[in-house]
Amino acid sequence: MPERKLIATLRALHDGGVEFILVGGLAAAVNGAPVDTFDVDVVHSRESANVARLLPVLETLDAVFRIQPERRLKPNASHLTSAGHLNLITRYGPLDLLGTIGRDLGYQDLVPHSLELDVAEGLRIRVLDLETLIAIKEELAGEKDRAVLPILRRTLEEKRLEDQRRCGGYPSG
Amino acid sequence: MATDDQPPPTDYSPDGVDLTLIRWMLSLTPAERLEFLEERVNEIIAIRELNART
Repeated sequence: MPERKLIATLRALHDGGVEFILVGGLAAAVNGAPVDTFDVDVVHSRESANVARLLPVLETLDAVFRIQPERRLKPNASHLTSAGHLNLITRYGPLDLLGTIGRDLGYQDLVPHSLELDVAEGLRIRVLDLETLIAIKEELAGEKDRAVLPILRRTLEEKRLEDQRRCGGYPSG
Repeated sequence: MATDDQPPPTDYSPDGVDLTLIRWMLSLTPAERLEFLEERVNEIIAIRELNART
């Protein structure tokens, strides 16, 4: 099994000029939630110029669909402009490219709910904020989503308390 | 507080979430969190591979 290179996957997208927002478990972890995850989930901009930048990056990552990997089916521009979810396997591990998440929320909808964070040396990317991650998981309400919700909610509470302490205020409750 | 014969109290939320773990994660920078996760994931994979061979 290849070594997971979460950071290398994100760096390839970033260096290729791809507009994307990190979502899912990795976004939760970057936001401070103690969750484990093995794949990289991103919502990409489905604008044609961005899709044109994304395609060669996927080529360098040897990205193919995870279903029937032996057939080595590669995502194309049409796939990348759709609102669906593309479950890929790359040389660095699983990568899910999501046209939309939650209730049809695409890249442009999610930008206002994302933060730009430094996630490695020279690697500053957009990451979905904890509030929106929680809201989307509450909407989905699947078993897997419900399982992680308590951790996300408590992380948000602790984060707010920490922010209040740092600002010199005192939490009200 | 901890004493010689008693460990310090744990801090769990009413729904069973370990708040000490959350506070530790929040004490790291986003880059440190990602680096930690990547290392951990690779350690887990290494353990799985080791056991798959035995």
